[in-house]
Amino acid sequence: MSRAALLAVTLALAVESARAQHLLVPMDDAQADHLKAYGLTYNALHDGAKGEWLLNYRGGSFLLPDTPELRRRAALEGITTQAVDDGALAAVRTEMAGGNMEAVPLERAPKIAIYTAPYASPWDDAVTMALRYAGIPYDTVWDDAVLRGDLAKYDWLHLFHEDFTGQLGKFYISYRGAPWFVQQEQANLDEARAHGFPNIPALKKAVAERIRRYVENGGFLFAMCGATETLELAIAGEDVDIAASYADGTPIAPDADARLAWPRSFAFTDAHVETGEFVNSMSDIDGHQANVPGRRQPLGAFTLFAFSAKFDPVASMLVQDHRGVIADFYGVTTSFTRRTLKPGVVVLAEEPGAPWVKYIHGDYGKGSWTFLGGHDPEDPQHAIGNPPTDLSLHPNSPGYRLILNNVLFPAAKRKPLKT
Amino acid sequence: MRRLRSAVRGVACSLAVAISLAPAATTARAQDADAYVRAQALEQAEQWFAATAAYRDALATEPASLGALLGLERVYDQLGVRDSLLPFLDRALAIAPRSAALRGLQLRTLQATSGRAAVRAAYDAWRRAAPGDPAPYRAYARLLLAEGDARAADTVLSEAAASAGDPRGFAYETAMLRASLGRWESAAETWRVATADRPYFAPAAVYSLAPTPTAQRDAVRRALAAPPPVAGARAVLAALELGWGEPRAAWNALRDLPADSAGRAAWLDFAQRAEDAEAWLVARDALAAVARATNDGEPVARAARDALRGGDALGADSLAALAAASMDSSLAARIAVPVRVDALSALGRGAEAERLTAAYRPWMTPEERANSARRVAWAWVRAGDLTRARASLEESGGDAGDAAGWFALYDGDLAAARRALPPERARSSDELAAAALLGRTTRDRSSAVGAAFLALARGDSAAAARGFERAALELPDAAPLLLAMTARLDAARGDDATAIALWQRIVERMPAAPEAPASDLEWARALRRAHRDPEAIARLEHLILTYPDSALLPQARRDLDAARRAVPSTS
Repeated sequence: MSRAALLAVTLALAVESARAQHLLVPMDDAQADHLKAYGLTYNALHDGAKGEWLLNYRGGSFLLPDTPELRRRAALEGITTQAVDDGALAAVRTEMAGGNMEAVPLERAPKIAIYTAPYASPWDDAVTMALRYAGIPYDTVWDDAVLRGDLAKYDWLHLFHEDFTGQLGKFYISYRGAPWFVQQEQANLDEARAHGFPNIPALKKAVAERIRRYVENGGFLFAMCGATETLELAIAGEDVDIAASYADGTPIAPDADARLAWPRSFAFTDAHVETGEFVNSMSDIDGHQANVPGRRQPLGAFTLFAFSAKFDPVASMLVQDHRGVIADFYGVTTSFTRRTLKPGVVVLAEEPGAPWVKYIHGDYGKGSWTFLGGHDPEDPQHAIGNPPTDLSLHPNSPGYRLILNNVLFPAAKRKPLKT
Repeated sequence: MRRLRSAVRGVACSLAVAISLAPAATTARAQDADAYVRAQALEQAEQWFAATAAYRDALATEPASLGALLGLERVYDQLGVRDSLLPFLDRALAIAPRSAALRGLQLRTLQATSGRAAVRAAYDAWRRAAPGDPAPYRAYARLLLAEGDARAADTVLSEAAASAGDPRGFAYETAMLRASLGRWESAAETWRVATADRPYFAPAAVYSLAPTPTAQRDAVRRALAAPPPVAGARAVLAALELGWGEPRAAWNALRDLPADSAGRAAWLDFAQRAEDAEAWLVARDALAAVARATNDGEPVARAARDALRGGDALGADSLAALAAASMDSSLAARIAVPVRVDALSALGRGAEAERLTAAYRPWMTPEERANSARRVAWAWVRAGDLTRARASLEESGGDAGDAAGWFALYDGDLAAARRALPPERARSSDELAAAALLGRTTRDRSSAVGAAFLALARGDSAAAARGFERAALELPDAAPLLLAMTARLDAARGDDATAIALWQRIVERMPAAPEAPASDLEWARALRRAHRDPEAIARLEHLILTYPDSALLPQARRDLDAARRAVPSTS
């Protein structure tokens, strides 16, 4: 080797050693932007890198390879990172081995679909906002794509405010003259007729059934707000009229409760369907009943459970957070009554002493589901027509972290989805 | 005689009974009061069962006691037996069947405990008991609205309006209802009725209609502005337009009102709102309308001041002249003349300003004279005549404020300006720019800088921009600052292309200058204004990565999120 070549190799090695081998993305209070840290990790996986999720270590930190591109992205986004060499990492692993901590490999970025209507709604969607802010790519699907079988293309499906009972959130009661409601009703009716369904409830039940099968075949489902409760009612009520007369022309079956097929549903059982057509509630699954005067319960705070990271890594991933207690927030469905939970449902967060829980998870067939009650973690009383939350003002939101935990959780699974 | 004796005996007997009963009734009332006080104390102590018994004792002697019934409602609610109140309410209503408070309590209790049919029956009974009273309709409609059944509430209110024969009696509830349903046009029509003879509903109307979506606003405008013009509805429309960022449309809603007392009051109120919103020129027009209707000089002077603040110096001069003509000389010297001199100053008409000041000098206090002389000096500055400006300043005597420093700066005497313009006194953007420059350069003279600041003072921003660009060659130690000032002036004039070339020059040729990160940021913003988002993103990334310790990073990251559409637009 010539002296020049030797010098070049030496210089290259020197440059390489100036860079550490790993980038630690701390997720405790040292992190400047927790939400974008998920985007950094997701996009690293998307670009082919491997990472690790250090459960319960400094708020659920991420470990990524130290590359100039990742450093650049972190600097641009204002994400706190720390370079760690092999020696420092060994010390971290030793510390983790001695506590309730575990390193979970992150292997591939899940393909994400958000179920959302093509028309603009006068409310925001927490998951869409979180993904956009974090810079995580996603596709949108609606009824047509679901009925066509497109869900099989995705690892992770998110549902938000949709009413799968087909009653359009019972907004008929108060907003039937509002232009946005008229537009939504017409768009859904057009979609129903295009697929040969007589009304919106029939269309939504068919969509709910496709979603049930998607999970049964190995998909990951994350639902928030009203989608949780209404999806369950639509699945259990496949052969029962659970929609008000203004939605399908016939009243709710008086014996609906007795005829619901709860074994088909994911999370709930023996719920009571609200038969009052002008009562703005779907059932007694929701503990807070925010839209029913006289039933509405005040907001408290919910507590995340601490799971064993080594023996229960899935539940642990879902509750990684830098706060253990989080202020509650209303939604069309705010919480889930304990009485209606199926045995075996994993409660991830609860309001201690209250008859409801906030955040639940379970397996179903080859897949799994996670439900989070409430609408917007940073806007506890979000009302129709309110401006969307600007997440750049809440980069450390512990509530939004729960949503993003769900986005990365499928990345930790080793087996690719087979549907 | 026997009958007389019998009658006397009867009276005596009645008196005896009355006398013997009087202490008993007094005692019962005292016991009733005692029971009520005891019940409240027990309720306070959360002894629900005992409180129930005490409230019932109170009702035994006074069955229609509203306080006791309300207490019993609270306590039964705690015990989860609100329906137990219903028998007591029945007794009370037998005594006071038209009592709106008792009837409302009954509706509320039935709503919580019984089906809708029972509530409806109670409402029907109330209407029968109090024919012609609008209270049952209102109470029932509000109850239905609270339940979310807007359709039924609408029906009740329509029935009420029909039976009462005067829809205005329920216009408030109906308007609120329709707005809550998103029926903006009919809500506006109803608010027009509601505010016609109840102007105090106007704030509620504005609050209710403010969320009208953009596409529906024209319908609301038509409803509120429909002929004949009604002051209340027009005032609501004007307030809405101001809130929607349309101050000129707001004034148009009011301008054709009759100039009677209601119209004048609406104009004056609007002028205040417009001033609060810094919509100076529509405030000017509203005050001018008031002045025309009243022949009062003070609103004209206020209109002149608003015209000046809105950049209409010519209009301000005319209005101030009009105001002065309608006042006595002393008042004019105090109120109208200073505005007019400022207007003439803004117009660069120093000679006229000087003549005007001289004409009113006899009615001015020494302090007013000095202030006027300083105003005249600035008029000469704007006219470009520094010699006469200095003469006026000398005439003002006493403390000339910062004027001496500015005059030194215009002369290019940076050393004198530095002494007379301490940076801690800088407030306006021009003062801050001067302070920054004087602190940055070590030179003591620069005619180019003086000419540029003088051009700025004269309102010639194009000449000022080119002057600062030339000055950058004369003062190399302050070149990045002078170029950044030039770019800012060019951008403010809408010449982003020239500004971008200057920011690029700073970023690429003077990357270590303190102005470089700010230039990068402004460059990116100009690119975003031109919808060149990918190039803007590249600039913002350059700024963040090149100047990681810059205080501008939070702004740059926020702009980056906005350029990438990562945060929702608030516009």
